[in-house]
Amino acid sequence: MDTFFLSLAVIACGGVLPLLMHRHFTTMKAGSCVLIAAGCILGLFDALSVLLHPGAAATYSLPWLHIFTLSFQMDSISAFFLVPIFIISPLAVLYSFHYMEKPEHSTRTAINYFFNAILIVSMALVACADNIPTFALAWEIMSISSYFLVVYDFQNKDTRQAGYLYFIFAQGGAMFLFAAFALIYSYTGSFAFTGFAAIPDTVKLVVFVLAFIGFGSKAGIFPLHIWLPYAHPAAPSHISAIMSGVMIKMGIYGIIRMYALLAVPSMIFAQIVLIVGMVTGVLGVVYALGNQDVKKLLAYSSVENIGIILIGLGVGMLGVATGTQAMAFFGFAGAFMHVFNHSIFKSLLFMGAGAILHKAKTRSIDQLGGLLKRMPVTGRTFLVGSLAISGLPPFSGFIGEFLIYYGSFQGIHLQRTSFILSALAIISLAVIGGLATACFSKVVGLAFLGEPRTDKAAQASEVGLSMKLTMIFLAGACLLIGVLPEPFVRLAFKGIGDLPLVAAYNPDTFIVILRNIAKTAALFIALFLAVSILRKLLYWRKEVSAGPTWGCGFTRPTVRMQYTGTSYAASMIDFYRPFVPVKTFYSGIRKIFPGQTIYHTEVIDVAESKIHEMIIKPFFHLLQMLRWIQHGNIHLYIAYIVAAIIVMLLFL
Amino acid sequence: MESIVSFCFAILAAPFLSAIIMKVKAYIAGRKGPPILIKYYTLAKLFKKGSVYSTSTSFVFKLGPVVSFCSVVMVLLFFPFAGIKPLLSFHGDVIILLYLMGLGRFFTIIAALDTASPFEGMGAAREAYFSTLAEATLFVILLLFYRLNGSFSFAAFFTGPTAINLWSPVASLLLLVIFALFIVLLTENSRVPVDDPATHLELTMIHEVMILDHSGPDLALIELGAYLKLFFYSAFITCLLYPFQLDNVYLNGLIFYGIMCLIYVFVGITESIMARYKMDLVPKFILTSFALVFFAAILTMEFVQ
Repeated sequence: MDTFFLSLAVIACGGVLPLLMHRHFTTMKAGSCVLIAAGCILGLFDALSVLLHPGAAATYSLPWLHIFTLSFQMDSISAFFLVPIFIISPLAVLYSFHYMEKPEHSTRTAINYFFNAILIVSMALVACADNIPTFALAWEIMSISSYFLVVYDFQNKDTRQAGYLYFIFAQGGAMFLFAAFALIYSYTGSFAFTGFAAIPDTVKLVVFVLAFIGFGSKAGIFPLHIWLPYAHPAAPSHISAIMSGVMIKMGIYGIIRMYALLAVPSMIFAQIVLIVGMVTGVLGVVYALGNQDVKKLLAYSSVENIGIILIGLGVGMLGVATGTQAMAFFGFAGAFMHVFNHSIFKSLLFMGAGAILHKAKTRSIDQLGGLLKRMPVTGRTFLVGSLAISGLPPFSGFIGEFLIYYGSFQGIHLQRTSFILSALAIISLAVIGGLATACFSKVVGLAFLGEPRTDKAAQASEVGLSMKLTMIFLAGACLLIGVLPEPFVRLAFKGIGDLPLVAAYNPDTFIVILRNIAKTAALFIALFLAVSILRKLLYWRKEVSAGPTWGCGFTRPTVRMQYTGTSYAASMIDFYRPFVPVKTFYSGIRKIFPGQTIYHTEVIDVAESKIHEMIIKPFFHLLQMLRWIQHGNIHLYIAYIVAAIIVMLLFL
Repeated sequence: MESIVSFCFAILAAPFLSAIIMKVKAYIAGRKGPPILIKYYTLAKLFKKGSVYSTSTSFVFKLGPVVSFCSVVMVLLFFPFAGIKPLLSFHGDVIILLYLMGLGRFFTIIAALDTASPFEGMGAAREAYFSTLAEATLFVILLLFYRLNGSFSFAAFFTGPTAINLWSPVASLLLLVIFALFIVLLTENSRVPVDDPATHLELTMIHEVMILDHSGPDLALIELGAYLKLFFYSAFITCLLYPFQLDNVYLNGLIFYGIMCLIYVFVGITESIMARYKMDLVPKFILTSFALVFFAAILTMEFVQ
């Protein structure tokens, strides 16, 4: 573990450095980038060596405040989750070198770098924490540092509100976690993780549900996802990339860790996770389809991908519960693989969205268009990211989804409920895949292709070098994993190595399939190249001319007539109507000579409106009745404190 | 060797079969109809021509036809025609093939959006919408087949002693599947009642409107891809209808193409006697196929132990 802590120390130095030299804007950014990248590379090597050479898990502990012990352990699960942390974070920091380019905001940028480093360190600590206080401490540091990153643009009211919402969800979720931990502590009397398996089974269910809610609010399960579509657009794009690519996966890590620690092969856990996963996945992508704000759309798409990961986990748990080894193995492996893949393409897409925001100054798809010609690198990398996130071969997203499909198909031979659940998992994956294709063809087709719908989009230009480089690297990774999946899938297999309940399974037959998949992908690329050459030959010495788009007889088309994101998605949204209400505002035409009319539609997040209606409003009403306690009279406040202390001394 | 010949023959025969539909429609309408080799003439004409590209388009527009064509060819490489072993096959190939068709669709959609034409955008939106529904049906069929004989590739579905077809004990379930597949065939290939390839108004089109701006060899690739796609879905149904297990390859081939012709004639008849559905009825029509196969899958819970 020494290398691990050394790498964290280097990353932390990379965070402190900008605070000390915030007057030298460029030097500060460069120094911080170099240190954080160096630390991450070191940490990555350590994590990979743990993964590739499995042995006894490394542990480390030290006393803290005389009552607690901070203890750490790096097993294969921790190491696997460290890999995306240490790959995506330095790339995001590198991206920020050209993204944060306002020297007048030097101090603020320095603080951003500081909290960014803290966030990276705390995520790594969450993944390695080995007892309750350590975990809780790292978890809280992670939540709070990311809060400060979200509110970077604090002068904007929307940003402050988004930060507030995120803070509530982060802390509310943490409460559920503490409740779960407290419940465990009341049975075991120890802070160690190892004692979790000893508590009674009925209590385990309660603990798991509490922890699932707590971790789920971080990961973004439906209906606890509502902070994502606010926090991601508010945060700077490289922060969105880290938060969506890596940080929300810590929620998934928590669920997996809790499942591993409780070590109970119960059917009910599988059912909860699988059903929540399906609902989260399908509704996430439908909301993504309905939103025209690129970053909001990507946030909902993260919800969708969390759903896919949960389906994978649920399939794995179902395999454990029914004793179907292959199903358990491939379900968990698929979830792990998708965690890794999603961190890559989602951060790529957020970086692309950041590039759009940076140059076109708008996030609305309905105001963009034609960016591919103006931003060739961003456009091409975004296209690759979109193909990958839609799960299309020969890109990385397909590999993870294929593993989950393969796991689910193993459950098709089961009986009754398990069969239905496996079948539903397959169907929802297919539906999610189809809708994701629709969603991302919308983003690429409307934002990057066609004609610019506004002047802002027409004046966009390509972004800086560091931003281009990171996006090219990530796009290359998407293609590489899709074409050569074997080493990465083997890494995922290693990752689930330390997962209890999942019996050792020999994946050799699957490796053969995987090689065939890789060959098919390669064959497709070869065929594509061959047909492209054939096409070139067919056009050899032929007349090729340019003209306007055929307007179907209409002679005066304008760019405003192009199909918009709203119209593209309208009929698909309509299909899911009860879950996706659409609010329409139309000023109407009243006079004989109509003036300007307004038409506005907005997709309502049903989770948000219901939570507001059913929880927040009654709660607020209740609190209104208690307003008399808050009178502003300081003497009485002191009396409250004294009374509280006396009550506690007497009764506890 | 047989596999290569059967693959090449399939590619060559696909345009001919598509012409059958036109011929049948003309016959029912009391017309003489185009020559039976019309589709070959069309392809030859298009391949000879040059192209006009819209100034709005980028490289994506030129990529669209190539990718969609390649994706269909990939599927045919893995498909056993007339019981002959396909060129390639492995356990699990069906999923990557369906997803490759998805890739082809993705590129067709973004190529259409690349033209900045509102009509093409509309067609793209409809294509995206209807295919998400049809895809769900196809995956239920896959899981049903997996439950029936534990296989996961086209070759294993339709060849060997455990081949799935109407002559096996699960025939009653397969009737539902065949009907559902026929609906998917009509949807995915833009046939009446989902889409009318011969309509005059761009507003009512789905597939045709997406390729309005393509011309010359690009359009030829799209057309050929469309014939092959229709050929694939018909072959899928044909393999369910009849087991090609005779020793004589030629006889198998003859029966295969005979049934194929019948399916194309049936598509022609359907087009002649039905009108196109209103757009908002189409999802219900496609969901019927989903309901049928899902019902079949539920039935297996009792039938197949």
